[in-house]
Amino acid sequence: MRGWRLDSLFRRNAAVKPPRLGAISSSRRITSSLALLATIWLSLLSPAPMCAEDGADAPAQQHWAFRQLVRPAIPHVQQADLVRTPVDNFIEAALEKRGLTLSPPADRETLFRRLCFDLVGLPPSPEDAATFALDASPDAWARAVNRLLASPHYGERWGKYWLDVAGYADSNGYFNADSDRPLAYRYRDYVLRAFNDDKPFDRFVVEQLAGDELSGYTTNSPVDEAVIELLTATHFLRNAQDGTSESDGNPDELRTDRATVLEGAVQITMNSLLGLTIQCCRCHDHKFEPITQREYYQLQAVFYPAFPVFDEKAWIKPRDRVAHVVTPGEMERWEAETRLLDDEIAGLKRDFANWTRERRPPSMVRFSDDFDAPGASLAANWSSRAPGDDAPAGTPELRLDASQPPGALVRDGALCLVESGAAGDRWLATREKFDWTPAQPGEWIQATFDLKADRLDSAATPAARIGFLIAAHDFDDNSPIGGGNVLIDGNPAGGAAVHLDYPGDDSKPVGDLGSSHYVPGHNYGVRVTNEGGGKFRLEQLVDGIPEEKPVTLSEADLPDGGFAFEFCCGRSFIVDSVEVMAMTGLDPDGSAAHREFADAFQSRQKTLRKALKQKQQQRREKPGGIAYVTDVLANPPAVHVLERGNYAAPGSEVQPAGLAMLSPSNASLAVEQLPAGAKTTGRRLALARWLTRPNSPASSLLARVIVNRVWQHHFGMGLVATPDNFGVSGSAPSHPELFEFLADELMRSGWSLKSLHRLILQSAVYAQSSALRSEAFAADPDNRLLWRFRTSRLDAEAIRDAMLTLSGELDDRLYGPYTPTSRQDDGSVIVAENAEGVRRRGVYLQHRRTQINTMAALFDSPVIVTNCPVRSNSTIPLQSLALLNSEFVRTRASAFSSRLEREESADPRRRIELSFRLAIGRAPDAAERAAAERFLNEQTAFYVEKSQLAVAGNQVKASQQGIAMSPETGAERAWHDFCQMLLAGNAFLYVD
Amino acid sequence: MFEFPLNRRAFLANYAGGIGSLALTYLLQSEARAAGTGSPIDQRPAHYEPRAKSVICLFQHGGPSQVDLFDPKPELSKRTGQAYPGQVEAHFHTQVRNLLGSPFRFHKAGNCGMELSELLPHTSLVADDLTLVRSMSTESVDHEAALRLIHSGSAFAGRPAWGAWVIYGLGSMRQDLPAYVVLADPGGAPIDGTKNWSSGFLPAIFQGTPFRADGSPVLNLDRPHDVLPAARRRQLEFLSELNAAHLNRHPENSELQARITNYELAARMQTSVPAALDISQETEATRKMYGLDRPDTAEYGKRCLMARRLVENGVRFVQIFLSGQPWDTHSKNAESLRGLCAKTDQPSAALVADLKQRGLLDSTIVMWTGEFGRLPVSQGADGRDHNRHAFSLWLAGGGFKRGYVHGATDDFAYKSVTDVVRVHDLHATLLHALGLDHERLSYPHEGRDDTLTDYLVTEARTVPELLA
Repeated sequence: MRGWRLDSLFRRNAAVKPPRLGAISSSRRITSSLALLATIWLSLLSPAPMCAEDGADAPAQQHWAFRQLVRPAIPHVQQADLVRTPVDNFIEAALEKRGLTLSPPADRETLFRRLCFDLVGLPPSPEDAATFALDASPDAWARAVNRLLASPHYGERWGKYWLDVAGYADSNGYFNADSDRPLAYRYRDYVLRAFNDDKPFDRFVVEQLAGDELSGYTTNSPVDEAVIELLTATHFLRNAQDGTSESDGNPDELRTDRATVLEGAVQITMNSLLGLTIQCCRCHDHKFEPITQREYYQLQAVFYPAFPVFDEKAWIKPRDRVAHVVTPGEMERWEAETRLLDDEIAGLKRDFANWTRERRPPSMVRFSDDFDAPGASLAANWSSRAPGDDAPAGTPELRLDASQPPGALVRDGALCLVESGAAGDRWLATREKFDWTPAQPGEWIQATFDLKADRLDSAATPAARIGFLIAAHDFDDNSPIGGGNVLIDGNPAGGAAVHLDYPGDDSKPVGDLGSSHYVPGHNYGVRVTNEGGGKFRLEQLVDGIPEEKPVTLSEADLPDGGFAFEFCCGRSFIVDSVEVMAMTGLDPDGSAAHREFADAFQSRQKTLRKALKQKQQQRREKPGGIAYVTDVLANPPAVHVLERGNYAAPGSEVQPAGLAMLSPSNASLAVEQLPAGAKTTGRRLALARWLTRPNSPASSLLARVIVNRVWQHHFGMGLVATPDNFGVSGSAPSHPELFEFLADELMRSGWSLKSLHRLILQSAVYAQSSALRSEAFAADPDNRLLWRFRTSRLDAEAIRDAMLTLSGELDDRLYGPYTPTSRQDDGSVIVAENAEGVRRRGVYLQHRRTQINTMAALFDSPVIVTNCPVRSNSTIPLQSLALLNSEFVRTRASAFSSRLEREESADPRRRIELSFRLAIGRAPDAAERAAAERFLNEQTAFYVEKSQLAVAGNQVKASQQGIAMSPETGAERAWHDFCQMLLAGNAFLYVD
Repeated sequence: MFEFPLNRRAFLANYAGGIGSLALTYLLQSEARAAGTGSPIDQRPAHYEPRAKSVICLFQHGGPSQVDLFDPKPELSKRTGQAYPGQVEAHFHTQVRNLLGSPFRFHKAGNCGMELSELLPHTSLVADDLTLVRSMSTESVDHEAALRLIHSGSAFAGRPAWGAWVIYGLGSMRQDLPAYVVLADPGGAPIDGTKNWSSGFLPAIFQGTPFRADGSPVLNLDRPHDVLPAARRRQLEFLSELNAAHLNRHPENSELQARITNYELAARMQTSVPAALDISQETEATRKMYGLDRPDTAEYGKRCLMARRLVENGVRFVQIFLSGQPWDTHSKNAESLRGLCAKTDQPSAALVADLKQRGLLDSTIVMWTGEFGRLPVSQGADGRDHNRHAFSLWLAGGGFKRGYVHGATDDFAYKSVTDVVRVHDLHATLLHALGLDHERLSYPHEGRDDTLTDYLVTEARTVPELLA
């Protein structure tokens, strides 16, 4: 039962209008008439606890969830032999009251599959399942539970549940840009490890709220693993959407964008930890819960120093809210590693360049200027007009051998291009012109230069582009020859834009080249290759290596012309070693020297490319980046209530505080004085201490909320059906005393979630069969009393992970950066085959808010807006279509059938048995076996028959249709079809 | 130990009058599903006699300029070049320049004499079928927030699109076609992508299903080319044997039953979806009417025509989007509007006329709107910035008045001043036309019965003046 608004009771009679709730909001308690109705209503759902309260004006502290926890007595049951743990007493006692009783245990195979999916989210291996099934020792179950709890895959399963609740996503959301959160994964890993390490839950909460304050970290303080872990934990507070890196617009909008971040942090904190929804208190007192607007802003005051909404200067955008924190020596190791790699890469390139220089036939070099000739004038080789121009390019004219802009001069053996920034294009072109269209297919011509510097002196602004031209023949556009003047506008941010016929109105962009950044210290250029058919491929060259993303030009685009540098817009830079080289098949002397060199050149280039790629893959990201949260104002200003939530209407001042309903005597926070020099206020740590203080209503609620989540994931539904609402308006617990007992046990165990799991998993309740008992079904069709185990569908991650496991493909590496997803032309989001970690578990897939893996989204993986306490459970035809036709499922089926053939090649009957054991955790029964054999026989026969018809008829057409060409492949295809149906079947998709 | 009210159905039925909300119907249907009958997408009775049963929303991302299209302002034209007498709220507040009258002429259209811009010659021909609202207002000059408001009733993220509310309220008229179809621009996603048709906190079955206008309209709809029909048939037979064996263990579990049925439904969709979209069955005259013969209009026209076919085939809610946010005319306002109207005017008007001639307009609401309007002052030399205080939209069919102009803005079309319609009021009125009471169409969320209009906070009201 979900929470209902209290006033829905009024609608029974249309004549009775509900009172305007807004009108009574001045009272922070629910008015007596409403409270009375609420009590009646709720008592219908859960008579015992609610009737214990005395109706009208019941103090908020008496709401079951807001009271301090009291350990209940363990009830007696008639069927004591059924009881394994106290959990069973509570459930069985409630059942017995209704004349019901627990179901008998499920069979051992079913139990083991249930337990494996429950604890680690993966299917059991047939070997493990068999071992368990045959283990008759009394502690076999306990050992299985412990072994799975000790598996690192446990954290991947249960950590993900917390990530949903905490609103984890790999992107910032808010705006359409939905920009990346490249470091969020470290928080994800922190959570997974915390679950694996069974970190006490109260400690887990404190670390996420105030790890930075616990750590005492300042920029210069020594760092160890513990500090890193504590800082990483605070990412919890930045899981909310944050558009402030992309914000634009007027100051009011920017303020709204910042406020949204703070509001999100408060909302996620209260919802995930205390099961309360309080965001409505931003504008007014809570209409259904005893929480005032003032209290909401008291909570905001706790987080304000980290998220100073009204201080634009102090605000830190998400991409800058990063610390590079490493343990001693780690950064040095990374730097040394990187230096070594850089040197090796430079060495490989140098060797290639030297080899080229030494070995190439001199006749291939069409032009070369290294600006080293002493006393030579630039004018010997260069001009401010193109080879075909009458007049100099641009006004004022470019001055050669002059340092006043616009000018060009040789300094220290390099060419300085000095630009003024005044309006107008100019260029410095070679006097010589070249044939840019080699005659034969495969032949090429290239122009290259060393980029020495992107500015004339270190104080100057770097050039926004490094522009150069080929086929430069006609600046003033007077020539009868069209085309040419191909501008390559090299971009420091990557790639180069190509324009034809530059400059002038008829200039047109023709595309982008390459991807490398134009930065000093490298050799850049372009190569034109005759591709045949009148097409010429223009490629970007970086350090002599052609890059992907070429542009295709025609012969008319490339008339004979010079090579030139462009002067524009204040872009001054320094170059050296300008060279034009052509590889044409014909040597001047008719020998094969050109061809021989070209062959050797191409093979060396290929080797070099491969070697460079290998080296690049060895590169590690700069270590230690942590996207964390800390106070950015050590002395924050006063925080105010905002009247009606209006950012421009500050009301009375508030101090940081907890919630009064959970602190009957005093909700103010004991904010400790942090050590001198501390950069944080201690407010978040104080809130964390308030939340986790033993024997308090706040820690009681904290315990209840997490107990409910654990129960929810073991049994498919929480003891409280509204995990996001433990308030008066939420639903009451189905087993209130069990609930209190479990919460108390959790705290007694030192907040150990693994102990809680053991307590629940050892119960007879958990071990029950899911089979139907009609008398119990008639009495309790929803199974709220837990008279049987609830059959439930695998969630999105488990479907992916299970398919990959039984197909033998799962990449089960733990932790690390996300596996990227990508959007296809058809709108689907997939993991590309060449993505790093393509077969990893679902928890590691990039969870971008606007780009959820389609297969996961179809099976209810949530789009995270704020957070997700309960996923929906949909049953829609699109899921059936995906199981039948999607590439993902079909590929898994292929791998599954290959695995079967590898592991059970000889005997088809045993292969069928293995397939069932893998997919559904048990051997097929007689009927299933018969159906499987019949299907395999008929399907194989069908394919074989098709193949014979095809051999007789049109083979080409047959193979296009994918029809098997031999009996062997016929059987292979039949097995593939068989495996896919196992994956599409309910026995695989559901856990009993 | 408490006693749980075990006969929940009887319990709910007793209090049904008291709850009166559709959430109850939904929950009861979930239970019906649990008992093996019906599905949550089944057609449900409206709160009261509906005027319309379907909606086609032609959504114009970016904020169309009301002052150049729908809202003539002679005073503004006169004072072009002068400063606006007061403070203008802009998105790019540093680029606010002087008043800029529309360069386009307005003329009276139809018998009703509705004044429309020369950029809308085709819309002018159907003026007598339109309700033009000139007095819209919204809450934000930020695209995303304004989009969220007009699509989901709140500037905050995470709430259901109003189409999802409609499907939740009324269910689907067809089991083998999605109830809520999105015809996205093949040129690319609109700004805010799938968030425009999200089901928010409603169950995912109520979200919009994007259909592609080219190629296979639904993901994974087509049998892969290397799977032979006979082989697939045999596969499905084998699957149903496996599933039947599994169901034997859980005969009462309707979710398992539904999953089995879904394979049949999926197979039916393989023919029903392409058939509903197949515009090759349309006459040459119809195709021409939508501008399929001209490059400017062909693409958008094709989707307008598909929208009509979908509604004809029982799809409840169709939304057409444009790639990016083309109406966001921050620079070259006049020039951009010419191009946009050349693309959208004829097909939009053709849709109204075509629905009418087929007798479908009475039961179909067509809505043409963006997320906000534009300013009467120029941004830079020739652009217009966002305006939240005034924008125009038109509605046709589905019980809305014909040849009617509602409300007015000030002399500059900067602020709506007469009969102002807020987005919440628009939503209340649209639901009303569909037979749904916006106060009663609620879903339990975060401890309360949430609604599209959040009327307790927004005080949303229906606008009876808009309805015939």
